[in-house]
Amino acid sequence: MTTKSVDGKEISKDERNYNPQATSCLNEKMVYGAQNKASYVRDTSLQPYESKNETFEIKLPEGVRTADVTVELNYEIHVPENKVPIHKVTRRVTLDR
Amino acid sequence: MFLVAVPLTVLAQAPGPKKAKTIDELAAMFDSARCKQCHAEIYGQWEKSHHARPLMGVADGLMLTPLVKSSAFQVKSPKDATLRTFPCFKCHLPQAAAYAEDSLAVELTQALFTASDKDAPDKDKAAARAKVAKLQITCIVCHNEMAITHKLVLGSPEKDVIYGSKDMATHGAPSEKVFTKGKKSAILNQAVFCGQCHGTGPNFEFDYPVQCATLYGSYQHNYLSKGGFQTCQECHMKKVGGIADHLFPPNWNDKASTSKMLSESISLDVQTLGYQSLRKAGALTPMIVVNTKILNTAGHRIPDG
Repeated sequence: MTTKSVDGKEISKDERNYNPQATSCLNEKMVYGAQNKASYVRDTSLQPYESKNETFEIKLPEGVRTADVTVELNYEIHVPENKVPIHKVTRRVTLDR
Repeated sequence: MFLVAVPLTVLAQAPGPKKAKTIDELAAMFDSARCKQCHAEIYGQWEKSHHARPLMGVADGLMLTPLVKSSAFQVKSPKDATLRTFPCFKCHLPQAAAYAEDSLAVELTQALFTASDKDAPDKDKAAARAKVAKLQITCIVCHNEMAITHKLVLGSPEKDVIYGSKDMATHGAPSEKVFTKGKKSAILNQAVFCGQCHGTGPNFEFDYPVQCATLYGSYQHNYLSKGGFQTCQECHMKKVGGIADHLFPPNWNDKASTSKMLSESISLDVQTLGYQSLRKAGALTPMIVVNTKILNTAGHRIPDG
């Protein structure tokens, strides 16, 4: 999730990762690759019929009353750079009434 | 003594299945190109599927290279490889277990070494990749070799039978001498069929545990338990023009179609609020709050395989 001021300056950036995480069970290091994994040790993946709810609080810099929030949901294949986009939502949020 | 000796002699002489010594031999034994004659549309779908390139990885990444070069299964030299070097064969090339000799593992390992050798000529690398690509999960693998799981009561798959959705007294062109009959498979349209490979958890039968796909475990324990009833096939083999889609989407090499499929299974709701928070009197803090809700309606965890 990225928040930018209306002139495009980045105010904040945050992310959450949802995936099963495995080790070899011989040490504490997380590994990728079926040949290296022995068992999951943590699972933050998206489970069927379950929702993942997150709250992000962004303090605005002084003088900024309006910002553009972009939330992207991507599927990463092997490396973070190799993404399949799933959803992208952009909202302008303002304190002005 | 005589009664015991006879059966032992018979057993010793009983021929086992013919085994492939090379990649080409195994590819030929399970070659399904003849299926294209009558099932061109299905064959075309399968050709684009990951089942047609089970050792190539996503975007032809040759997923077995790290196995032989930098894992517990690594070998110093291709000649040291055996079928036991490749636990991945259990699902990525299931026919190898019963129908290949260790020499195939040596040839495959040599191809993986060559394809990843930065000093090898490009033409040699391309040839090596092409060799690996010959090893596929073909029509015969699913519609014969893997079609029966209850062998104690149903027997092993018959060599001349293609297993599908219905019984057929005859199958194939009259000129064909193979797979001349069709039989209805008891499990081909059930999730358990896919569960044979899209697994349940660590594979402890190997000398080093291997944790690959756990999709079927997720389906069994965390989808059915929430009231889901759909099978793998209902979502991943939806009928196209009346025929079950043998592309088995998603096709991870096609990001556009994969994106569409994922967006249909996963929803994202975003709520925003702009206000001034007050922790203590006189200290208003301009703030934005973003609430996100991601809901997965697929029949398994995402990601998994």
